[in-house]
Amino acid sequence: MQALLLGLASGVTCLAYCAPVLVPLVLGESRGAARSFGLVGQFLLGRLAGYLLFGFAAWATGRLVATADVHGGLAFGVTYVVLAVLLILYGVLRPRRVCAGGGERTRRFLARWPAALPAGLGFLTGVNICPPFLLAFAGAAGSSSVWGSLLFFLLFFVGTSVYVLPVAFAGAFSRFHAASLVGRLAAVCIGLYYLYVGVMLVATEVAL
Amino acid sequence: MNGETRARAGSGVPRMGVLKSLLFGLPMMLLTALLITGGQAVPKDPLLLVSVALTWVFFNVSFFRMLTTGRTFALRSTLFIAMAVGFVITFTTALVSARGSLALSGADVIQGKTPFCHLVIPAVILPGIITRTIVFPGSLVGTFASIGSMFVIWIGATLALGKAWCSWICFFGGLDEGFSRIGRKPRIRSISRAWTYLPFAVLVAVVLISAVSLSPFYCEWLCPFKSVTEFPAVTSSLVLVQTVIFVALFLALVVVLPLLMKRRAQCGLFCPFGAFQSFANGITAFDIRIDPGACTECGLCVRTCPTFSLTEESVKAGKTLITCTRCGKCIDVCPAGAASYHVKGTGPGASRTAARVLFLMPAFLFLSAFGGGMISTALWRLLKLATTGSMF
Repeated sequence: MQALLLGLASGVTCLAYCAPVLVPLVLGESRGAARSFGLVGQFLLGRLAGYLLFGFAAWATGRLVATADVHGGLAFGVTYVVLAVLLILYGVLRPRRVCAGGGERTRRFLARWPAALPAGLGFLTGVNICPPFLLAFAGAAGSSSVWGSLLFFLLFFVGTSVYVLPVAFAGAFSRFHAASLVGRLAAVCIGLYYLYVGVMLVATEVAL
Repeated sequence: MNGETRARAGSGVPRMGVLKSLLFGLPMMLLTALLITGGQAVPKDPLLLVSVALTWVFFNVSFFRMLTTGRTFALRSTLFIAMAVGFVITFTTALVSARGSLALSGADVIQGKTPFCHLVIPAVILPGIITRTIVFPGSLVGTFASIGSMFVIWIGATLALGKAWCSWICFFGGLDEGFSRIGRKPRIRSISRAWTYLPFAVLVAVVLISAVSLSPFYCEWLCPFKSVTEFPAVTSSLVLVQTVIFVALFLALVVVLPLLMKRRAQCGLFCPFGAFQSFANGITAFDIRIDPGACTECGLCVRTCPTFSLTEESVKAGKTLITCTRCGKCIDVCPAGAASYHVKGTGPGASRTAARVLFLMPAFLFLSAFGGGMISTALWRLLKLATTGSMF
């Protein structure tokens, strides 16, 4: 119950962290309400996987938090870089009018596994630390069993997802070609920002 | 001036007689006097008096000529460019007077001394809703360029004019408009339509990243106008990178691209505030209509629209895109007189002159309210420089 309330209380902040990744995706990809909610669902499943991974990690070692102080920057920096690269690739690979050429293999992969991109982005946002996530981590670390820790993160995920689901309604705009293009261009802009954040985190960690 | 603007044949230009123009100009003369002096008594400083008088004459002659000639773009553009140049001179000299430097120190930020400008508005709304905090290091009320006063002005002007803000009120837009009017022929004649969606993408990115970082992301990283107003003091490599970005964006978007395209590159291809303001066009009473029956499909308006707000399809549909800033260029260049200002809800038989005057009155008043003080103060500073050797 504590985890669910924590998720509900801090979900708006979670939305702020997830929206930069999810909104461009929904604008750029979705065609109709079912597809929009499908995309958000795939994103949330990826995010859930990230959360459960952390739930397991929180239980597996009580020292993880302390370890994260030393190596966390590097790990999260690399995660941000991967997230950024995915967003930028998503933005530039499809609209050939904006940037022609390249990435045929990636295009084929995405055509074969369409859920990979939203789920992958969801996973990468799920394993990034935002302030409510730290609270959840602290709560789960206090759990005595692995199932308790996983349940804590699962309920925390349910609480925060309440705020993420309405993003699907942004898909209503994607029937316009312009909104789809805007979503892809925004993915590139946001990707560049995350690339900067990731590189700075890695550089800071390497310099220490 | 662009040759295409002068080449206007103007069969449908809503010109006005001298007497009628004087009659409409009279309230404008009184109101501009009030706005330019800021409601204060006649200045005792002779240099300031001359500056205020010259500015008043400049505004009122421009308005009178707008009515008698039926031209909008060239006269508005001259005032608009003068306002931007005046703003830069006024703002920078005021900062040097007050702080001794254009550079913004950490102490200034902590004390909330950062002036607030309209370009930040879209970036502070979402974080404001989430956190109930304005994520900007300025003062809410009571100081120069406070957050509260800018919001009040913005809401009023947006309700009245929508995106016309970008061609009549924005004190930055005149800079790239100025560079876009240098030279006769564009070197870059066409670009992919996809790039005209970039301001909306920048808007989405700026709003969402500002919500994540709880900071005015556009101000900190992307504002080209930091180059000519205030900028953070370069005290670290991070600030140096930010400064390089500001200067590079200014040179590319405000100087080089407008010179090459003869269009407003910053306003039409990048500005997130402009994109945000586009949505307000739907709630205003005015728009621009193109009479498909009169249109000869010469494409001149599409090729010369400063903010890329016309396409062949939109012209055929008889309207502009939502990004239209009501600058008046399409109306002035149309050889068939097919484009005109229009009051929403009025039919094809409605008076073009009435619609134009109804639009010009509030638009010109806002231009005077913003530009009057900026131009007169800048003139005063320049006159002081010429007569005493110092602007201060």
